[in-house]
Amino acid sequence: MTGRVLDVAGVSKRFGALEVLSDISFQVEKGETVCVLGPSGSGKSTLLRCINWLERPDAGQIYLNGTQIGVNGAGLVMSDRELSRIRTRIGMVFQHFALWPHLTVLQNLMEAPVQVQKRPRAEVRDEALALLAKVGLSDKRDSFPAKLSGGQKQRVGIARALAMRPDLLLFDEPTSALDPELVGEVLVVMRELAHEGMTMVVVTHEMGFARDAATRILFLDRGRVVETAMPERFFSSPETERARQFIQRYAGHAANGGR
Amino acid sequence: MSAGDVLAILRGAVVTVTLSLTGILIGLPIGLGLAVLRWADVPIVARIVAVYVSILRATPLVTLLLLLFFALPNIGIAIGPISAAILALVMNTAAFNCEVWRASLMNFPRDQYEAAQSVGMSAPLRFRRIVLPQIARTSLPGLVNEMSLLIKVTPVLAVVGVVDITRAAVRIGAETYDPLPPFLVAVALYAPIVFALVSLQRWIERRQLKAEAMA
Amino acid sequence: MIHDFGIVWGERDLLLTGLGNTTILSVLSAAAALLIGFVLTPALMSKQRWLAGAVRGFVDGMRCVPFLLFAYIVYYGLPSLGIRLDNWTSGLVALTIYNAAYMAEILRGAWTSQPREPIEAGVAFGFSNIALFRRIVLPPLLLAAGPVIGNQIIQIIKDSAFLTIIALPELTHAASSIQSRHYVPFAAFITAVFLYWGLCLVIEAGVSSIDRLAAARR
Repeated sequence: MTGRVLDVAGVSKRFGALEVLSDISFQVEKGETVCVLGPSGSGKSTLLRCINWLERPDAGQIYLNGTQIGVNGAGLVMSDRELSRIRTRIGMVFQHFALWPHLTVLQNLMEAPVQVQKRPRAEVRDEALALLAKVGLSDKRDSFPAKLSGGQKQRVGIARALAMRPDLLLFDEPTSALDPELVGEVLVVMRELAHEGMTMVVVTHEMGFARDAATRILFLDRGRVVETAMPERFFSSPETERARQFIQRYAGHAANGGR
Repeated sequence: MSAGDVLAILRGAVVTVTLSLTGILIGLPIGLGLAVLRWADVPIVARIVAVYVSILRATPLVTLLLLLFFALPNIGIAIGPISAAILALVMNTAAFNCEVWRASLMNFPRDQYEAAQSVGMSAPLRFRRIVLPQIARTSLPGLVNEMSLLIKVTPVLAVVGVVDITRAAVRIGAETYDPLPPFLVAVALYAPIVFALVSLQRWIERRQLKAEAMA
Repeated sequence: MIHDFGIVWGERDLLLTGLGNTTILSVLSAAAALLIGFVLTPALMSKQRWLAGAVRGFVDGMRCVPFLLFAYIVYYGLPSLGIRLDNWTSGLVALTIYNAAYMAEILRGAWTSQPREPIEAGVAFGFSNIALFRRIVLPPLLLAAGPVIGNQIIQIIKDSAFLTIIALPELTHAASSIQSRHYVPFAAFITAVFLYWGLCLVIEAGVSSIDRLAAARR
């Protein structure tokens, strides 16, 4: 289990009468980039949000580096403080950026490491500035999020998640809310992260990114893992009918992929 | 509390409603006039209006009422409690309504006004037929809101001896040494009036939203 | 007329005391009302129907009752039920309870217009409970609600003048006292009016600053 960062076993979730996730199981090794694909309503976002217990699974277990999330050693549901500790090791990038509007870009990056991880301010600041440089937004450090473009906001969102030094990065449709011409600048950053060996789980519609940067594809349909494969195999010769239909529908996108 | 007492409070209610309506009816057009003066940016006058509105909105009604009731006779203008009450209500209402009208005027689409100009309408005609009907509609929720606020400050008229709901209740309380029941009756009279106005306001807002959605 | 103002100037101690009382009364009840509002607002939006209904009843009730009547009831009416409060306490209690309802409504309105995602991000980044509220939820909420809360504070200042009827020595009461003893109604009340105006301008300046902070972040 030394290389295994994430272990999801038998996770199910229902909203009222609707079963959104049914018996989902998969593992993510260190350095992997797993792309979760699937039609709308397949439960992709819910699955992601279950990993850090933003949604509470109804059944199943989730382990981060061997530690169970949501249930503590005594078998009881974790308190907010225990959950908080685990969550600091999982970074999340949101579809609508979710930057804190009352803080500048730099403050956004520094807020959680200082307030939650209790790391020294000077060290956090240096690291934050380096991360901003990495995503190409050094000049925006004192700007407020409202003044940034969508692509810039999302790059800040990624830097903010990285500032926590997470073991795992979750991406919830990171480019879906962006104008087409702004998608590229975000995918560039994500590709670089994948290349550098960051462990990532990415829910996305960007087939090009999935094909180029993913180490594995997880295909979800109606709450179940229908197929899982390496990207080349998945896109060229999918095993299941549902996957085939899905790829055909997005064939146009896949062909235009490779941004 | 006897039936006669309740009747006395009801009579007070009539006074309250009458005075409020008078205040509203007179204050509404004056408020509009003030708003137009500020919107048209008439030199000097607009500034005076701005200061007047600012002071009136910061002044408690009871202070204004006492000022008018005691100060006017002092400088030679005889005034009774009812007149002082109406004057205070009008001055107050005009200032608050002014802001509501002004908001509508400032949000009025400029191009409609220019379209009216380009077909040769005179200024008064432009205002009467193009601007006024529309700002009347957009101002309506705010104006009804101000009306409900006005009703809620009318008890202050009791302070200068106007026998409205509050004064009637106070008097009965003093006579019977049992102040709570008449006050509760007074509340029971005010609450439905205010509630009706607030409901009216919400209904108007809902209807306007629907009309906008369908447009 | 100048002579009249001279008399008022001679009584400035009384006026300043009145102004001080008005300010203290307003600030205390505004702060208390806001704090109570923070407790009432989650109750207002609670999924427990009985709780939400009860608070909604209270809020709507306070908004339908004239403040002066409410102050009368607290001061004159409560003794019938065995609760006897002095005029200061009555005034403070009446102002606080009455405006707590308005503050709850203001906070509820501001809260529902806040986007959910940044708060969720706060949770995802490990913020919990007090830290989440203090650093993630509260600042944008106050920036948004600042102007409306400012208006409510001005309303509280004006409502405090009603308390002259229960002989609370606030500003209007001081002006009344001066005018009844020296027969200088115009000078006395105009001075009071300008003092109220000054108070409100201070509040409005505060609101402008908050609005400037908010605008930079919009």
